[in-house]
Amino acid sequence: MRTVWAAVVSVWALFAVVAVLAWTRQPNASPAPSPTAVVIKGPGGKSQVVLVPSTTSTAAHATTRTSPVPAG
Amino acid sequence: MSVLASTGVPTAWYVARAAGLVAFAFLTASVWLGLAMSTKLLSNRRQKTLFAWHQTLMWTALSMLVLHGAALILDPVMHFGLQAVVVPGLAPWRPVAVGSGVVAGWLALTLAVSFQVRRRIGQKRWRLLHYASFGAFALALGHAINLGTDLQGARGLFFAAVALGPVLWLAFARILMPRASARARAPRAPVRTDGAAAVPEADRAPVAA
Repeated sequence: MRTVWAAVVSVWALFAVVAVLAWTRQPNASPAPSPTAVVIKGPGGKSQVVLVPSTTSTAAHATTRTSPVPAG
Repeated sequence: MSVLASTGVPTAWYVARAAGLVAFAFLTASVWLGLAMSTKLLSNRRQKTLFAWHQTLMWTALSMLVLHGAALILDPVMHFGLQAVVVPGLAPWRPVAVGSGVVAGWLALTLAVSFQVRRRIGQKRWRLLHYASFGAFALALGHAINLGTDLQGARGLFFAAVALGPVLWLAFARILMPRASARARAPRAPVRTDGAAAVPEADRAPVAA
């Protein structure tokens, strides 16, 4: 009975530690948002480089629904 | 395990780390219990049960140690072969620190087997051999602190303090207490009933430390 208890406790401890290790595993770091350089043509045909700041969050809101595409 | 590995989950690596931590926890518990028994801090009436638990904890630690080694062999990143896990110093990565863990494992196995041959080798030799448990514990702790992925920095210091604190305290108690108990057990001067003087204190046999 003693051996059974020790085996049960050790296996549960093992599972618990594995679960904690998996839970605390560092996710792959997503690239930091960086501004995008866009070349536009200004008045007189002169090219200009404009930095467009990227949005920090691109995830759609949970309650947002897209409007249906109009037919035709 | 290969199925999980193909999904990108380093299962063998998780199992190796977890089994190593659990093995060390059981080894530490076994050392604590052994010291607590030898210092008579625990009830004398339950010595037999506690002694059995002391052995069981040691064998459980060894079984987790086998799992630790097996998971390291199966890990596709570490490239540890059977020899690297069994023979100290043959590991391709940090051989000294890995080797200390291997030696600790062999010492733990020797101690666990010594329980079975205790009567054959005699109580005195068994006790002498049992001092190797301090070496096994120290080597295992050094191995865990040096190589443990999860025990770096302050977490490692906390882990070491929790494991080592009771061992040091109980070891000091073990060193100091036998003298007190031996003094208590020392034969007293026989009580003379014929009116002669009892043996003076200075002439008594010295108390063994």
